Parts: sequence; C-alpha cells; structure tokens
Amino acid sequence: MESTLHSARRDWLARMGTGLGAIACAAMLQREGFARVTNSSNADGLHHPSRAKHVIEIFCPGGLSHVDTWDYKPELERLHGTPFDSELGKQTFAGVAGKHAKSFWSFRQRGESGLWISDLFPKLSQCADDMALINSMQSKSALHGPAMFMMNSGFIQPGFPSMGSWVTYALGSESDNLPEFVVLPDPRGLPPGGIINWGAGFLPAVHQGTVMEIGGGAEVIRDLFPAREVDRVAEVDGLSLLQQWNRQHASARPGDSLLEARIASFELAGKLQLSAPEAVDLSRESQPIHAMYGLDDPDIGPFGRQCLLARRLVERGVRFVQIYCGAENTSKKAIRPNWDSHEDIVRDHGYWGRVLDTGASALIEDLKQRGLLESTLVICTSEFGRQPFMQGEQKGRDHNPGAFTAWMAGGGVRGGVRYGSSDDIGFKAAENPTYCYDLHATALHLLGIDHERLTFYHNGIQRRLTDVHGRVIPELLASS
Amino acid sequence: MFSTYLSARIPKRSIAIMMLAILLAPDGFAQEPQALASATEIGVSAREIFRDRCIACHGDSVQEGNLRLDRSEGLMAGGDSGNAIAVGRSHDSLLIERVTARDESRMPPKGTPLSDEQIATLSRFIDLGAPWGEESLKDPRLDHWAWKGLRSVAVPANGDVSAALAGDSPIDRFLAVEMSKHNIQPLPRASREALVRRLSFDLLGIPPTPEEVDDFVADGAPDAWERLVDRMLAAPQYGERWARHWLDIAHYADTHGFERDQRRDHAWRYRDWVIDALNADLPYNSFLEQQIAGDVLAEENPQANSTTDATIAASFLAVGPWDYVGQVETPSPVIKRLARADDLDDMVAQVMTSTCGITIHCARCHHHKLDPIQQEEYFALTAIFSGVKRGDRLVSTEESQRIDSKRNELRGRKLAIDQELHRTRVGISLADIVGGGNGFGTGTLGAGIDASTGAIRNPNDKKGFLDGVVANRLNTTTYPWIDSVFVPDGGTMARLAISQAGAVAQGIPSTDSKVWDAIRNGPVNSQFSTSLDGIECAPPGRSMLSLHANAGITFRLQKEPLEELQKSNDGSTDGGGIVFTAMVGYFGETASKGADVYVLIDDQLVFRYVGLGRNDGLQGIRHELPGGASTLTLIATDGGNGIGHDQICFIDASLAPSHRVESDQEALRASELRKVSDELQAELASLPEARRVYGVVPETPSEIRLLHRGNTEDARDVVLPGTVACVGPRMESMAALSSQSTDAQRRIALANWICSPENPLPARVLVNRLWHHHFGTGLVATPSDFGLGGALPSHPELLDWLANELHRGGWSVKRMHRMILVSDAYQRSSVRPESSTAVHSAVVLDAGNRFVWRQNPRRLDAESLRDTMLSVSGSIVRLMHGPGYRDFDYQEEYAPVYQHRVLETPDVFRRSVYRFVVRTTPHPFLTSLDCPNPATMTPVRNTTTTAIQSLATLNNAFVLQQSDRFAMRLQQEVGDRAEAQAERAIRLAFGRKPTQTEIANAARLIQSAGLFQLCRILFNTNEFVYVD
Repeated sequence: MESTLHSARRDWLARMGTGLGAIACAAMLQREGFARVTNSSNADGLHHPSRAKHVIEIFCPGGLSHVDTWDYKPELERLHGTPFDSELGKQTFAGVAGKHAKSFWSFRQRGESGLWISDLFPKLSQCADDMALINSMQSKSALHGPAMFMMNSGFIQPGFPSMGSWVTYALGSESDNLPEFVVLPDPRGLPPGGIINWGAGFLPAVHQGTVMEIGGGAEVIRDLFPAREVDRVAEVDGLSLLQQWNRQHASARPGDSLLEARIASFELAGKLQLSAPEAVDLSRESQPIHAMYGLDDPDIGPFGRQCLLARRLVERGVRFVQIYCGAENTSKKAIRPNWDSHEDIVRDHGYWGRVLDTGASALIEDLKQRGLLESTLVICTSEFGRQPFMQGEQKGRDHNPGAFTAWMAGGGVRGGVRYGSSDDIGFKAAENPTYCYDLHATALHLLGIDHERLTFYHNGIQRRLTDVHGRVIPELLASS
Repeated sequence: MFSTYLSARIPKRSIAIMMLAILLAPDGFAQEPQALASATEIGVSAREIFRDRCIACHGDSVQEGNLRLDRSEGLMAGGDSGNAIAVGRSHDSLLIERVTARDESRMPPKGTPLSDEQIATLSRFIDLGAPWGEESLKDPRLDHWAWKGLRSVAVPANGDVSAALAGDSPIDRFLAVEMSKHNIQPLPRASREALVRRLSFDLLGIPPTPEEVDDFVADGAPDAWERLVDRMLAAPQYGERWARHWLDIAHYADTHGFERDQRRDHAWRYRDWVIDALNADLPYNSFLEQQIAGDVLAEENPQANSTTDATIAASFLAVGPWDYVGQVETPSPVIKRLARADDLDDMVAQVMTSTCGITIHCARCHHHKLDPIQQEEYFALTAIFSGVKRGDRLVSTEESQRIDSKRNELRGRKLAIDQELHRTRVGISLADIVGGGNGFGTGTLGAGIDASTGAIRNPNDKKGFLDGVVANRLNTTTYPWIDSVFVPDGGTMARLAISQAGAVAQGIPSTDSKVWDAIRNGPVNSQFSTSLDGIECAPPGRSMLSLHANAGITFRLQKEPLEELQKSNDGSTDGGGIVFTAMVGYFGETASKGADVYVLIDDQLVFRYVGLGRNDGLQGIRHELPGGASTLTLIATDGGNGIGHDQICFIDASLAPSHRVESDQEALRASELRKVSDELQAELASLPEARRVYGVVPETPSEIRLLHRGNTEDARDVVLPGTVACVGPRMESMAALSSQSTDAQRRIALANWICSPENPLPARVLVNRLWHHHFGTGLVATPSDFGLGGALPSHPELLDWLANELHRGGWSVKRMHRMILVSDAYQRSSVRPESSTAVHSAVVLDAGNRFVWRQNPRRLDAESLRDTMLSVSGSIVRLMHGPGYRDFDYQEEYAPVYQHRVLETPDVFRRSVYRFVVRTTPHPFLTSLDCPNPATMTPVRNTTTTAIQSLATLNNAFVLQQSDRFAMRLQQEVGDRAEAQAERAIRLAFGRKPTQTEIANAARLIQSAGLFQLCRILFNTNEFVYVD
C-alpha cells in the first residue's frame, strides 16, 4: 500500500518534468528514502529482485599490476629476461619496452577454490573463496585520467555520471541522515582526474559523491558546520527565524513544492550535522577491530580507517561508498603516492600491497562477521594493469590497458571463481575479453537494476552507465 | 509489472520515442486481410510497410547490406545477401524468410516484428509479381518539423481570441490562441516590485537596488516598463549575465582538463569577446560566423574594423577540454589518434548543437539512431575542422610586429648607452648572456636555454617538466659565451664532466634527473616569486639568471672582452683582475632545505650551499677569477627531495673589473647616461605586450576517414568535408569542398551554411534559448536538440514567427529580448492564488505551464546567487574584462594542484563570470548550487535542492564573509539601531519594503544573535534565493 502511494507521488512528480518538479522530486524522494520500497520482500520498485543493497568499491589508482598479483603467468617465468617485441612496445604509454619480467611475488593456490594469488596479498588470499576475479578486464585508454573516468563512468571523456551516481539515482538512499553516495579519498590527495571521478555529470547534483574526511583537522563533510564559531543560541534563534520566514513565504505561494523541498533540506542538513560526526567516530570501535584494520600502523592505518568507515557507513544505510587506495601522481621522489610503478615496482607495489592487503581483507572479514557481506557488494579495481615487461631499463612496469584484473566479493557474487583470462604473458585479454561495461552491468544486476533500462536523456541521447555495451556475467552470480 | 518509478525515470524521451513509434506504426495494422485486394492496393500496402519499417536502414540515405527498399529497382536488385525476392514465389524469397525469422537474423531487427497481416501482405505482393507502382519512397524522418523552412506565419488577429486574453503584443496573441482553445485563464500582471526584481535578475543577473525599485514603483508613465527594459538592456551587466549562458554551451574554462590540467592564461579574451559582442548587440549571424571562422575571415580581410576581435571569437572552437597527455606527452601514435578524434568530436558537437540543435555526435559510431543523419555526415563535418588545433596564439601578427619594431628601436637606443655604462660600471651580465645577449644588454628578457638539449627558448615558449632528459650530457648552444648546459645527476659518479674541455666537478649529489622549463634571463615558468628578503629582484631593476633544479650551465670565459673590460675609457689598463659577483637565493615556496647550489671556476669549487631554502635569503658570492681561468659553472640540484619549487636565481651575476677608480668626469657622464637609459627603460616598460589568446591554431587540414564503429584503429574510406543533408540549403561553396580545400575554405563554407537565411535552425534555436532563459523553459524544452529525439515545440507557429522576426530585425538579439519582455506573458504573476476557480482549470489542465498562463518562479543559479550576495553586501567590484580572478592556491605539479580559498582581496569580489574556471577542480560552493562542470555543454542547468547545498549556503566561509560585510554596510548606512538595520537589510535582500512584523522579528534576532546572524539568515531565505 505504502509503495503504491510512493509510486503515485513519483508519477505525479515525474510528470512535472525536469524543471522545477524535478527539484521537489529529488528532495522529497530523498527525504522519504527509497529503502522502504527496496526492502520490501516483493522487490517492488526494482527491475528484478536484488542480491545486494550496498556497494563498497575500492579503487586503486595508478594501475595495479595484475601479473604481480591476481593473474598467474607461468609462461612469463619462462620468458623472464628475454626482450619484448620492440615494435609493439612503441605503442605503449612510455613507448619503450624492456625485457619480460616474471612476477616479483610468488604465486600460490589459495583456499578451497584454489585461486592463484601472489604473496603480495597474504591476508586477502585468505578471502579467496569469497572473491570472484575478472582476469580479462581491458580499458580504452592508457592514460590515467581518461582510464579513471572510464572505470568510474563508462566513458573516457570527463563529465559523465559515475557508477555511484547512477546507482543512487536508481535506488535513492536508505539513510535519512547521511549522504547516499560517499567518497573516501586517500588522505594524500585526490586521484588522477580529481573530483570528476565521482561527479554526477548531467544527473541531478544530489547524486554526486560527497567526500567525507576522517581525523586530522579537516571537516568531516565540507561546510558541515560554520567556517567559524557561531554561538549556539544565535544558531538556534537564527535557524528558527529562517524556517519561520520560509514557511510564510511558501504559504503565500501554494503548490510550489520546491519551496517546501528547500525547507526540508535545512532539516536534513541538521540531521546530517548530528549523524556524520557520529559515523566517523572510530573510537567507538573495539580494540580488536582497530588491530584488524591496522589502524595504528602509520602506513596502513589511513587506508584501514577508510575501510572501517566504509563498513560503518554501510551499516548506517549509505548506498554506495567509494574508497581510494592511492592519490594523484606527484613529481616527488621516494615512494609513489599511488600504484603507478614505472621505475620501481618492488618498492611501490610492495608498499601499496601491504596497505590494500590489510584494509581490504579486514573489511571483508568484518562485513562477514556482521552478516553484512551478503547484502554488500565489494568491488576492487584499478583503471588499467601493468605490462608483463620492464619499462625500458627501469625496474618498473608501464601502463597496460590491454589486460588487468578486477575482483568482486559479497552481495550475491559467486566466491572462489575467476572469469576470463589474459594471454600467456598478461599482455592482452584473451578469453572473454571485457571492459568496465560488463562489470557495471553485473553490479547493477546484483542491485536489482537492468543496466539497459536505467537511462537519462542528455543532449540528444538516452544515456546509460554502460553506453551501448554491457552484459551481465552469469558466471559471477552466486546461485540463490 | 516492473516498478513504476524506474519507468518514470525515462519520461520525456521515451514518450517522444513512443510517439515516434506510433507515428511510424504501420497503417496495415488496422486494415482487413488483403486476400481480396487488387494488385494496386497490395502495392500501396506493401510500400507502406517498406516505408515505415525498412527504409530507415535500406533507403535513400542509408543502404545496409547494399540493399534499398525505397524503390522497385532496389527491391529487384537485391543486396549483399543476394536476391531479396523471387518474383512470384514468396516462399522462396529471402525477404519473407528474414521478416519471419525467429533468431537474430529477423528483420526489422528493432521494435516489434511485422504482424501476420503485414507478412501476408508482403507475401501476396511478391506472389502477384511485386506490383510496386511508380513512386519511390521517402524517409518519413525527413518530414520532421525542425528541418522544414521557416513558415511565414500571420499574427492571430484580435478577433481570433477572446477579449480577456488578447494583449497588444503578437506573442500574447499567439499564446492566447492556445489558451482559449483549452479554456485556460492566465494570471494577471505581477506586482511592480516583483517585476523589477525579475527583470533585473533575468537581464543583469544581479538584484535591483532599493532605489531602483522605488523609482519603478513610483513611475506612473504608461511606458515605464518599456523604459526599464531598454535601460537594463543597455547596461553593461547585460553582457556579463548573458555571456554566462553562452559560455555554458561553449563549455568554457581556463584550464585544459584531464589529468594534467594546465592553465590557459589567455583564454579569458574569448569570455570578454562574448560579453562585448552581446553588449554591442552584434548581429547573431555575425556572432556565429566569427566564432566558427573569425580568424580566417580576419586574415582574408585585415582591413575590417573588427579584425582582431574576430580572431578572438574563433576561440569558441578551442575553449572546451583538451587532453595534454594524449595529445602531446605520450609517444604512442594509437593514443594520439584517439585523443585527436575526441578533440575533433568536441568541436563538431559544440558547433552543431549550439548553433543548430543538431546532435551530430550521436552519429560518430553509427548512423544517428533517431535523426536522418548518416555516419558519413559526421565525418564530413569532422573534416571541416581537421585543420583546427588548439593553442595560444597572437591575436594579431600585425600588432605584434608593430610592438616588436618599436621595442627594437628603443632597445637599440638604450643599448648604445648601456654598453658604455656597463663597460665602465657594471661589467658583463651573465643573465643577459643566457638571454642570447653579449653581456651588455642585447639579450632578450625572459629568453633562455633548455638545460636538457641546449635548445633556445623564447620568452613565450614556456615548458613544464622536460621529457626525455638524458642526465649529465653536455649540450651546446650557438652562443659564444656558453660552453654547455646539462642536467646534473651525481649518482654514483665521483666526478662529473662540466665542460667540453674536460673540467670536472666533485661531490655533486644524486638527483632525480628531472628539470623544469629552462635556464632563463628572468624568472622561470610559474616561478613562485621574484622577491626575497623583501628585495624585488625582477628585471629590469636587477638582472635575474634563473636555474630551476636540476640544471647546470658552464660559461666560456672569453679572453678579449674580459681584457677590454679592464681598460679605462682612455684605453689604459689599471692592472686589476676580473671578479665574479652575484647574489643567489631560493625563490620557490619551500622554506628550507629546498635545493643545493654549486659554483665552480674550472675544476675549482668556489661556492657551495647545501639545503638552500626561502628562509635562507640571499647569499652573496664574490670570487676573483684566477689568471688563465677558462670556464665558470653554475649548478642547482634538487636536494634529494624532488625538484618541487627549486627555483634558484642568481641576481646581478656579473664579471666585472675588480677595482677601478672612477674619475669625476666619468661619474658625471655616467649619471647623465643613466638618466637617459632610465627614460628609455620606462618607455620600454610601458610598451604593451602583443595580445595573445587561447584559440585556433590553424594548420593544413589532415585527411579524414570514416572510422568504423568510431574506432580510431579501423579507418575506412576517405570522407570529404561537408555537412548534413536533411536540413539547410544546398550551397555551391559547400559542394565545392575537396580534400585540397584549405582550412579557411572549409570553415567559411560551414559558417555560411549555418548563417544562411535558408537554414531555419539557428534562428529557431536562438529565439528558443532566449525564451528558455526568460521563462525557465523553452518553447522547445530541449534547447540543444531539435531532432526527432528532442521535444516538440509547444507553440510551433510562435516559434517560427519569432525566428522570422530575428531575420527581419537584422539578427538583432536585443530586439528579440525586448519583444519578449514587453509581452504580457513575461510580466505575469508566478504566484497562483489558491482558491480562484478561473485559475483552477489552468492548474488542473496545465500544471506544467506549457501554455504559459503564468510566469515560472525560478531559483537563482549558482553565479547569480554569489553575485547577489556580493551586491547586497556592498562588496561587489564592478571592474569588467581582463584575466579571471583566482580564488585558489596554485601549485605546479605533474598534475597541477588547485585548492580553492575564500580570499579577502577585492579582485575576488568581481562577478562570477570573471572567475578563473578550473576544469578538474570544480568550485565547491558553486558546484553545490548546480554550477555545471565545463566538461560538458550545458544548454539547461539542473536545479536541485539538497542538504549539502543548504549546508553550503549556511556555513561556507564565503557566505560568512559576505554576511560580515553586509552587516558592516548596514552599520555604515543606518547606524546601530536594530529596527533601522532590520528594515534596510530586508529591503536590500528582498527588494521590497518589509512588514512591521518582519522588522520586529529581525530586530529581535539582531538583539539576541547579532547583526551578522541576521545577514546570514537572510542569505538563506527562500525569498532571497527564488525569483517570483
């Protein structure tokens, strides 16, 4: 009954079109929350029954080397030290190929499923039976910026809505007092391409990712509180006069729901002021949890905090959380601020491997212990992989858009499987080559959405997250 | 039974598609079985099926599988798969096999399969010998309203509509026809206070002052409104406001975008051009023409008055995003081809959607799915722009030459004087040598040498990180004073070669071998500052030899000039030697331990400073050259922590006589010379820089090939420059384009085609954009899409009438504004009374206000809201034009970092249209208010209401700052009495007189929470943020 009412309301709002009606629509739907609809057992409101309610996506910017981690290549061991085809090598980003190089970490079979995972990830290896590896990922760009945009939005150009925006556009929020799409950037800074990576593009701004900061001097959410101290009484008096004036103004303009929506948005803002600081307060977590996420380790701690916060946000109804494990490139020497290991892969992947291993494995374990993994889809990806040969004379690997690996866990994903493969050395995707489109289609499917029917008109085209591509990968779906 | 709301997510467009489907639905559906029909009748029915379901892909414009079904010959000829039909034998016909197939070979592939009746009709048609008849078929999509020429429409006479509805304005009469048909009563005129506020925001983007409101309210003259409209249309703020709308469509910004989001320091001239063109009411056809081909038109007609302006106008093609890494940095040709294809796509899409509302970009990978536009046509338009590259360019070469020749003349005169002065007093300047001079001032200020190659860099040729650096290679130049330049990396080497003759340096540390820009006579690119210790060190006051780590330069000590230096004016030698003197400092931002500096004479280390930082100030160096010394070397290295800001400058570095006694006459002469020299210097300094703009850098057009499925690695046939065929005139100049046509010919041909009076689209699109901004929604609700996927016009006759008026008025845009603004429709109230029965029918029948029975209330857009806060607080700085204000910290990096800040400098209190727009780092406050990202063209802005937005307007430091300034203004204007402050505050914020209750409430808040709090609250009220 209730969902019928909701539907009627939405229909009415939708008929008002994209102009002023849409404002009211966005705000009112947000206030109501879609959760009641999506939680209902008959799955009314979705294209089909959902397996996942939430998504946590870990993004490893810079280019995570699949041949050193998730994609075992015995042939590369044989070819180790022999030169790579120099003509083909000219097509790469840096334009110089050196010698073939085997993985810098040994591979072993893990868990009951026997997935091959390298020693770079000893803790994540223990989650192998929960993970589904896609070994045949490809990107359409060898450049960080465009490839990041592609992985996030399906397009190599900037300005398209990110996956988190599409998902929340479709499903709304479960939480009345937290943003529906939260982004947790690396404390070192933003990833390549900056905040466009979680932009709403042409979707309403309410669907863009909201950055939350943990610890340090930074605000939890930008502008959550006045930029300088305002007396508490003054604040209460001011806001009550504001709402009094706004109500007067609205009552003289009957039927303008957008005015009501803005009045409501101030109430929502007040709720956010209460709930956001509580959500990021990790001191309420137990000592074993702190230890599991490695919070005390100066290197691992920051990412551990992001992962732990992601779990807390999902618990509180946030629909989509994106975590960045790495920042933008800088010209500084020493360890790279992300996975972009051109000159020294042992140094840089060695560092970032420890970081990802602890945080991500703790997250999966923690979600599992709390019974949240079933309804939370965890995705881990990079924008592209790295080459199976050294970059010229350097000790690192160049960008490889031809093949890389992403993995998923929880949320209706079949664990302990791998899908597709790269060629013998990991240079190009070979069996079942795929782009982000299939990953996105599959993720949407798990959330109860048909990727071909989630659309938005913009500048002449009915746009989709999956553009004109995308296929749900049935091999990755757990039997229900 | 899928969800109602997900389907509601597909509203307008899918309705359009459904309507299309209905339009295309075969008539045969409704007909009786065909068994008894005659051959002629069967022919008619079959042709209808072909027309409605087949010829979009097998017709005149497109022939999939080389099959066309729009005429009998095509049907008989068959296609790639063989014969389409076996005449007389439907059961042997491929056509029947395909329309009845149940797998993916089924035709048509999209939509519902043909009905049994339709299949029966086709079968019978074949069995009867395919009696086609005479006529061939036409693609019904070609009948789309927008492709048709402008209709000349008569204004409905007063008698056509009821007296209550008829207004004086033709616009009102058009609207009244529809309203009276549906029995809808419009709302009356809005209050005068509401009207002046509405008009001010619409035309100027800022609120009226209380005095302007009073004047208009008190103006009882019958033409008061018309005069107000005219006055505002003539105000310079009009151009600022309406330029913002056009810049949204042009997706203008001041940086490249993508990963290495570098600055475009000269992009702003285009923004200023748009403002000025709108203020001057440049006819809209010229407005478009200059933006498409202004630079080449200017070259063809350099005498024209607006020559240079037109060159700036063409930056329209360049102001969108551009990927430096894909276009320049990568050596991979595959990546470069893709980046260039995206680049051209951006230009084509921008030009065609903005001017014509044609969504040409939808035909990049395949034929347009909705409009009759072929993929070939997309590439033909791409070929129009294949000679356009983006970059900084001179606005006018003539202007540049004029300034250069004046500069050379002044320099020549100054040189003669300076040479004498320098010889006697200063000595040989090493910075001048780096600038290509002889040490006595002949060098170019700002010029330099690339440390990694020895290449000469002119002042405008600025570089960031240099690519392909080979460390420790000695690179030579043609300058006689310079032995070599190099990028030092001590690494494991104990000895580093530093001159061609084999001098070596010891103890140079390991570096990351990176290097920035060039060694320059003056500051390096993006140098943090030119002063240190409070001393301004920039030329011309002092000489500055800048050396961004890691770099080294070795000077060859020329024997003869140095000997000459030691002579007195009378030619005698006083026997003293030569001394090297300089001050060196760290001019980057890093406070300490930034970089290391070394100075060597031959092998001898004479100065070393390890860990030099900004806080260390200037270090003096003075060292006598030993007899027979042959080289002098300066080295800066990165200090082991990356090159960051390692900007090392040697100030007044010179080789001078070590001790000379100056006679009185010499001193007198010198002071006279200095006076003249200073005068010349002042004149030189006052010479303007030749203007530059980020815009079109033309080159020979490259060959364009059709890219199969848009894939840059799957190029097919060559495509010649051209345009779409479904609309607009057939023009000689367009048809004559060939692969040999110049860039100018191509773009001028397109500009002429677009601006031709026979092309109906630009006029329709423009008047619709005006309508959109004056009413909140257009007569066509999709202002950049007039194709089959776009919305249908609510008032097609009015639209065409307005478009014709634009032509008739010589394409004057202001005339069209005026026409709309003086209509009753524009002036109607937006507030519907709750219990009026007359209005009740309108609310029920037309809640969406399609018939324009009321004005639409609107929320201020992001920029207007910011500008309004600035206006109301009294902070606004009305300075027009010039480089954008930068409300961010900028840090030069591989990917530059922009960090937005709330600043107090007056510069940032300019209107938002003058903001320096950074693509990768959108402005957080404005973004929360739906300021669009300039990555995409934005014909219609979203208006959303979110909690995050309310937090921003409540708490953002900018709002608090403006609240403070608003409070200060009130105190200055009305003193300390709370009631007076309250009254004035509300008048300024709302543009109306407050009620006594409002004053009392506001005064109470002032007393309990302070004036600041009232100001902040006013900025957050709905009345402040919305316009009735």
